[in-house]
Amino acid sequence: MPQIDESTRVRESVSLDRPWVTVVWDDPVNLMSYVAYVFRSYFGVSAPEAERLMLQVHNNGRAIVATGDRESMERHVEAMHGYGLWATLDKAEE
Amino acid sequence: MMEFRREESGTVSAMFEPVEVDLLRHVASQLLQLLASVDTDDTAMLSQPAIHRLLPDAYPDDPEAAAEFRRFTADGLIEGKIANATVVLTALGDEERSSDTDWADTGRAENDGADVSSHDPLPVPIVLTEPQVQSWLRTLTDLRLVVADRLQIDTSGVTHLDDEDSQVVNEIYNWLGMVQESLVYAIDA
Repeated sequence: MPQIDESTRVRESVSLDRPWVTVVWDDPVNLMSYVAYVFRSYFGVSAPEAERLMLQVHNNGRAIVATGDRESMERHVEAMHGYGLWATLDKAEE
Repeated sequence: MMEFRREESGTVSAMFEPVEVDLLRHVASQLLQLLASVDTDDTAMLSQPAIHRLLPDAYPDDPEAAAEFRRFTADGLIEGKIANATVVLTALGDEERSSDTDWADTGRAENDGADVSSHDPLPVPIVLTEPQVQSWLRTLTDLRLVVADRLQIDTSGVTHLDDEDSQVVNEIYNWLGMVQESLVYAIDA
């Protein structure tokens, strides 16, 4: 299947480039306790780190919660949407 | 509703008033209907605010990549949300708990607590296993996202809905948040 080969090659060349990031955005709906819980239970970060990220989302409007290759970030974004969080992915800033 | 507490067995439980069970069953059923109606190939439907918030753009500045992401993820996400809402409905049971609820139109709050409790004063135990808790947390979130859209809550959290239903809908929204927070605290304890 040449199409798959093609896209794999594109992805690989991209992954050698700048990494991607998973961004979680502040929304007025999700509870702070729930957002911190999601960060802890999904990303496996410590309670203080989850709290820090949650407050960053709350106070700054967004926080980068993961960095890596594009496919991993897409998986994280999909998982965040499953939790009902507003997440996007983007290229990491240089 | 009494707060959720973790039992020694590992389950999490709370007592719900019958009217609360009926309310949650009603809104979860509506959510289920909404989710079941979603056609992930229908871009017009996916751009409706409530649906769009359940399936937001993964690439905010790249519509093409966002559409591709949605093509690969939307069906699975909707299926998951349907499965979660079904778990919630199963835990609540089919039986109408309070004889006097008419949530079909959420504008009716005439059935005040005293009246309802005179019909059926017994609180209903809701006991959830860990996987059920995960479904509840997600469904409560989906419910709040959809209700927030109904309330026209803006990005700073201010409600713009101002009609005869707004007070009741707002109470439901806050109550859903209280249930969710109670669940988060219970599993964190």
